[in-house]
Parts: sequence; C-alpha cells; structure tokens
Amino acid sequence: MTAPNKRSRRLRRLQVRVPGGRTALHYKQRKPGKAKCGRCNSLLKGVLRETSSKMSKLPKTRKRPERPYGGNLCSKCTRQEIVNKARQYAV
Amino acid sequence: MIEIGRLCIKTAGRDAGLKCVIADILDKKYVLVDGQTRRRKCNILHLEPLKEVIKIPKNASHEAVVNALDEMEIKVTQTKPKQKTERSKKKRKTSEQLMAQKEEKRKLMGVFKVKAKKEEKAKAGLEEKAGLAKEKKE
Repeated sequence: MTAPNKRSRRLRRLQVRVPGGRTALHYKQRKPGKAKCGRCNSLLKGVLRETSSKMSKLPKTRKRPERPYGGNLCSKCTRQEIVNKARQYAV
Repeated sequence: MIEIGRLCIKTAGRDAGLKCVIADILDKKYVLVDGQTRRRKCNILHLEPLKEVIKIPKNASHEAVVNALDEMEIKVTQTKPKQKTERSKKKRKTSEQLMAQKEEKRKLMGVFKVKAKKEEKAKAGLEEKAGLAKEKKE
C-alpha cells in the first residue's frame, strides 16, 4: 500500500523516465492558480506561477509588473483608477 | 489641453501615478515630460492633464522644473545614478621585485635540500649499522 500522504490527490503525479530506463511515478507539489485582476477578474500578465520555494529565490521585479497596483490590478484597471483619482483631485 | 508647462499625471508604465510637467511638444503624439517622473518622451495618451499650468520656458532643464514644482509644494525625490567606482587594477611587479622573489624561493629550496641531506645521512647511518650487525653475525 502506498504511503497515506501519497494516496490523496494533494500532490501532482508525474511519469518520469529515470536513468535506469524504466518510468517511475514522481510526486510533486501543485502550482498555485493563475493571478487575476482584483477589479475585472481577467488573467494578469507578467505574474509568475510557481511554488513558494521557487518564488522565494526570485527577485521581486520578476514576480510582478513594476508599476503601482502591479500584480493586483491589470494595466487597464490601473490606468482607470489613476485617472479617476486625478479627476477627483481636480474637482 | 496639451501645452508647455501643463501639470499632468502619468497613467502608464513604472512612473504611473506620478506628477509631471510638459517641457516640450515633440509632435502630434509625443511630448517631453519631467518632474517626479524621469525626463522622457511620452505619448499624450499616457498622460492625464490637470488644471494647473506652470510658467516654464520651452525645453526647461530638470532643475528649473523641480524648482517650479517645489513652489507648488510637489516634492521631487532626487534619484541620481550611482557613481561608478573604479576597480583596483593589479600592478605588475618590477624586475627587481621579481628577482627578490626568486631569491627567496631559492633560499626555501636550500632549506629543503639541507633536510634531504640530513635524511640521506640518517639513512646511511642506519645502513652502516645494519652492515655492522651483519658483520657481527658473520
């Protein structure tokens, strides 16, 4: 019987060809879901989708766009937000 | 709306949300902006004009723009590029220094040679002793 922690589908299963020539089942952590815009729910571009161990090794600038609301809002919503604020300030 | 001295907010890119002043109009589409943002060419579609207009000459320098913005109580953080530090270059040794180095090496070699001689002598002594022992046996 397999180990209890490998019986659930918490881990991703990979068929890997090992150096000996046979194929073996490897268990790997699943990646998190794709990042979405907090306003329009569209998929964000330029936001990495990796496990936390890999993300911690990367620089901040590679994980999200380098602009206000980067990684939270899409570019269109960001622009709208800034314009709205500017118009409020003008009035 | 688009004129020299017009205060704007940049809406796109990494300078988005920062205030800037139009310093020059390049053509129908593009203007030169300066202020809290970097001094750069910018599409008018990426600017949100505000109602204030500052009196600055055409193609005004960064300092003039900063001073004008200071009067409006808009602070501009100075971000100077890092000064390049020169790497220390390795100096070549002069011929005299090289000679001194060689002499030191020779001295060291001499020390080892003396040791080797001592070892030889010690070995010879043992052999002699062994020989003597053989003679005694005979």
